[in-house]
Amino acid sequence: MPRIIPTAVVVVLTSVFALVPYVQGQQAPPPTWKQGQPASMADSPLAPVAQPPAPKAPGEMPVDKIKVPAGFKVSLWAHGINNARVMTWGDKGTLFVSSRVAGNVYAIQDTGATREVKVIAKGLNLPNGVAFKNGTLYIAEVSRITKMVGIEDKLDSPPAMEVVYDILPRDLPHGWKYLAFGPDGKLYFNIGAPCNICIPPDTHANISRVNPDGTGFEYVAHGVRNSVGFDWHPETKDLYFTTHGRDWLGEDVPSDRFDVAQKKGLHFGFPYCHQGDILDPEFGKGRSCGEFAPPLIKTGPHVAGNGVQFYTGSMFPPEYKNRIFLAQRGSWNRTEKTGYKVMMVTLRAGDVPKYEVFAEGWLQGGQPWGRPVYTQLMKDGSLLIADDYAGAIYRVTYQR
Amino acid sequence: MAATAGTPTLAADLEAGRRKAEPCKSCHGPDGNATLPGTPSIAGQPTFFTHWQLIKYRDGRRKDPQMSPFAASLSDADMADLAAYYAAQRPLPRPATTGPVKVAAGRELARQHLCVSCHRPGLTGHEQVPRLAGQDLTYLVKMLRAFKAQTAGDLDGTMTTAAQPLSEEDIENLAHFMATLPPSP
Repeated sequence: MPRIIPTAVVVVLTSVFALVPYVQGQQAPPPTWKQGQPASMADSPLAPVAQPPAPKAPGEMPVDKIKVPAGFKVSLWAHGINNARVMTWGDKGTLFVSSRVAGNVYAIQDTGATREVKVIAKGLNLPNGVAFKNGTLYIAEVSRITKMVGIEDKLDSPPAMEVVYDILPRDLPHGWKYLAFGPDGKLYFNIGAPCNICIPPDTHANISRVNPDGTGFEYVAHGVRNSVGFDWHPETKDLYFTTHGRDWLGEDVPSDRFDVAQKKGLHFGFPYCHQGDILDPEFGKGRSCGEFAPPLIKTGPHVAGNGVQFYTGSMFPPEYKNRIFLAQRGSWNRTEKTGYKVMMVTLRAGDVPKYEVFAEGWLQGGQPWGRPVYTQLMKDGSLLIADDYAGAIYRVTYQR
Repeated sequence: MAATAGTPTLAADLEAGRRKAEPCKSCHGPDGNATLPGTPSIAGQPTFFTHWQLIKYRDGRRKDPQMSPFAASLSDADMADLAAYYAAQRPLPRPATTGPVKVAAGRELARQHLCVSCHRPGLTGHEQVPRLAGQDLTYLVKMLRAFKAQTAGDLDGTMTTAAQPLSEEDIENLAHFMATLPPSP
């Protein structure tokens, strides 16, 4: 018998946090973003980019500044979606969109000329993960995965959220999740490190999976600081994923990573080894980077890679088949901002992958007006890009 | 319960904000400087902060008998206008009876708990982070207790995490210290 909980549930956090070793009168741990900052940088002005409370109006987004390769075109597809993050398609053509701090899940219906945006759940606890299968929408918050059965027929009065799995850690730092169905039909998600840099509990810093009925939980990859984006190769079925590297080690180190897990149980280095070849100054002592799986690509320092998307559509030129789009939300822990781009990876047999820019222009004069965070394909093969900073979705089309 | 996500914000309108703030005056004061104990002054608070609080009241993450029903009827544009209007008002100190021993203990606790790392030197706030300096003492105590009890519904968990190690005495001392700071730098 599934437990039923109200759709607009108010989050009451009732648990222990993994990392509160505090003795009265002593120095308390700093907020996660500041943790690991060297004493010499205590007055650094660097801090995470604040999330605006409202989406931008169409006139406030210079979409024409987004540069793409010749033959491609970018347009504003939908707007007014506060903090838009992960996009997943329903069977009947509804685009479901998650958010993080806004706490909402949206349903977008494409009426041709315009897009109608509805809020189908609100007040949730960092509901970054959404995935859809067989008429059911799955939503991942910090400590639980829930589902809405038959949602596409009930967008105006959404069904109750039924618990799929709710015994996940409740730590809020890196507690938000990416959620996706693997080729094996299981639900995959991350359990991030509850810190910037620390020896995480055994239960954290991994990618995990569970059956859609909530049974069979298991860890898939270890030593993953925080991966909030993955996809599977359409042919080999291998898991490819991005990972955000630690902060405060330097302007240009460590690089964030793009990885492939060709089997279950690999360790990707956190917190001992960063970017495959830098031992952590504190936690790397006595370890060797050779113990851990190396990155497929060093994607760059602080770029904040989120979305991973194999191109399986038919609109783009033939060489785009099975290329990978990486949406990089962009840096905060670096004086000169970097990232704020959609990158493109071409896997090459017997050679290192090619890694190049696909779309850029969200940084103007060194300041962001938007942050590309996830991508999704439309049925016609065009590419949607969600921007959580501007609360918008862009569409990239190609015409020969 | 489905609702449209709302029209996107246009540039906030201060004059519209002043008009829309009419119902707020009875509790928050004519210009956002409240006098009722337990009610926060919202004059001079950063726009992102006020706007996010209104969103949280509207979607139920933050609850209050007065604020929840009021926020339920606000549009995104209303919230932007109200936030911009209050950010433009000059904050005044709240009268408070503070004890010098508690203030001194609170100052040391604020250092230990690194409050300035988000709330900025002088605890004057910025972006989504509120000004604490010169805020109402009773309100500060109420909010710190709520963060500790994990019922305040903060945006990303930073304050919920930060409040966990605080004792009831710590909360009182911190509030005494914050209430004595000048509200504008």
